[in-house]
Amino acid sequence: MTMLKSKFARYVLQKFGWYLVAFFIAVSLNFFLPRLIPGNPVRVLVSQLATGGVQSDALARIYDNYMREFGLDQPTHIQFFRYFRNLFRGDLGTSFMLYPGKVSDLIREALPWTVALQIPTILIGWLLGNILGAACAYKGGKFDAVAFTLALAVSNIPYYCLAIILLYGLAVHNPIFPVGGGYSFGNFPELSLSFFLDALHHYTLPFLSMIVVALGGQAIGMREMALYELTTDYVHYSKALGLSDKKVIRYVFRNAMLPQITGLAISFGTMMGGALVTESVFSYPGIGSLLFTAIRQADYPLIQGCTLIITVAVLLANFLVDIAYGYIDPRIRAAQLGER
Amino acid sequence: MKNLLKAQDLKAYYRLVGGTEIRAVDGVTLQLRPHEVLGIAGESGCGKSTLAAVMSLTHNPPLRVMDGLIMANGSNLLSLPPEQVRRKIKGTYISVVPQGAMNALNPTQRVRNFAIDMLQEHHPEMKKSEATDLAQSRLTDLSLPVRVLDSYPHELSGGMKQRAIIVLSTLLDPKVLIADEPTSALDVSSQRSVIRLLLTLLGEGIITSIAFITHELPLLRQVADRIAIMYAGKLVEVGTMEEIIFDPRHPYTKALMGSMLVPEKHVREQRIEAIPGVPPDLKNPPDGCRFHPRCPRRQEICSREEPLAKTVGDRTTWCWLMQ
Repeated sequence: MTMLKSKFARYVLQKFGWYLVAFFIAVSLNFFLPRLIPGNPVRVLVSQLATGGVQSDALARIYDNYMREFGLDQPTHIQFFRYFRNLFRGDLGTSFMLYPGKVSDLIREALPWTVALQIPTILIGWLLGNILGAACAYKGGKFDAVAFTLALAVSNIPYYCLAIILLYGLAVHNPIFPVGGGYSFGNFPELSLSFFLDALHHYTLPFLSMIVVALGGQAIGMREMALYELTTDYVHYSKALGLSDKKVIRYVFRNAMLPQITGLAISFGTMMGGALVTESVFSYPGIGSLLFTAIRQADYPLIQGCTLIITVAVLLANFLVDIAYGYIDPRIRAAQLGER
Repeated sequence: MKNLLKAQDLKAYYRLVGGTEIRAVDGVTLQLRPHEVLGIAGESGCGKSTLAAVMSLTHNPPLRVMDGLIMANGSNLLSLPPEQVRRKIKGTYISVVPQGAMNALNPTQRVRNFAIDMLQEHHPEMKKSEATDLAQSRLTDLSLPVRVLDSYPHELSGGMKQRAIIVLSTLLDPKVLIADEPTSALDVSSQRSVIRLLLTLLGEGIITSIAFITHELPLLRQVADRIAIMYAGKLVEVGTMEEIIFDPRHPYTKALMGSMLVPEKHVREQRIEAIPGVPPDLKNPPDGCRFHPRCPRRQEICSREEPLAKTVGDRTTWCWLMQ
């Protein structure tokens, strides 16, 4: 048993190494990509001041000051080194549009909203979708026909369309839910029941708009996998030896889950991008809205900060999924470690 | 002598979309006696695997039993409720070695856990450790490595996987083992060890009888006590191994023997002859004797009327030449 445990530890360590490399590359790209955009952001910032009729030598001083402040007067490799050093201190720089607001503070405020919206949506959608899909495959008949058709229809609606439809139907036309925001105007975040209920009221529509789509997509994938697994030799053999349906379904469900775990990783990736649109539609105060505003204002440090958070989230999700995969499927563990 | 298992006038058809029927087993009566290996042989598509599926009660739609009985201990197993068949028959009275044995084990489960699941299914009071002990001692008795239990299926060689499956199938000492092409995917030395394992199980009295389905007649020469030859969903000849191999009477059996590379004295000098023609379409089998379109000795009656069974001693033949 200890030998088996250490094998798994080796698998985890190996995976961790690969993700560290991927993280380094992603973070480097995050540094270089904004710098490839033509134009100097500080000049843009200063030229905005110039329209206010400021003297040109004063402008030059402001320009130099900003360049020092943002560290852009240094050669690229020094900037790169500083960027990494600051990163590990948790310093993501200063926002242009909300100067002198720290990027890390802005993200800290926005992140809980996105996490609270995304994680439950993805997990509940995934879990319910898989259960529905497995039930469709196993029951077949009318249940399958109805549920499968619905899932197919729902999963093909782009989530932003569904968001707009829900917004119109349940907030504008029938004002049951608020049209946007994370909480009511005049309310402010605190640990109280009234705030929690208010936040939940605002939460419902963005949550619904995403979970319905996620659920449908997962159900379709699971149904196909489970249908395939139900025809495999090991199912026939287990039944031939008198194993109960309950046990056989447990085998099938577990094996059909494997590709679905990849689906979970992918939905973490796409949902993070999806947050941008959903949060914009509902003016939800999360990372998506923050990034959207940052892009419109060409606020490079803030864009960098947001993309960094998204990158880390996607990498972390994929890492955890890889670990789960290796834990569930011995063949993957063996293949990854080059064994037979 | 009381039969362990008997198929009586068994008809099992595949019903396709649109109502077409494939008459894969069309009126078969066959007994499995205690303490014997019964070989069931024939060309591909003759219905032998279908017969095996129905006899092991593992048939699934679109395959349906249209008529006939499967008798054991005086009751018709086909009329029992499925739940009772699952609890009282499968794995305990009738067990199987499946045709697709290479993938017959759940790929994400250790062999040990399947053994535990299978034993606890039929003995819910059994502890996990007891189940493991039972599987372990069975492997040791059969001189197989105990490490098999800790392995995942992909870690075992083809021959070892097949032997592991045979051990799992016989953990509960079933009376009848129905083995459908148990060696067809294996190399010669693995074939030999699988055959030896089956014969050991029989010799030790762990199982009482084996129905061995194969298209390889030379294999049956080594293991079978009796052989049943199937053609186009029907039996053509049933007899002892010696009768069928050395003294075939039915023209089809003769043709089958003639087309085999069997190093027996009397055939060694002969030329290998292919059987002319192809097996009939089982959606629309020929009238009369189903072999008559390919038969070198067909008579006028063969295309009109089905031959009746003619039994002499242990041998039964369905051929007009024998009447």
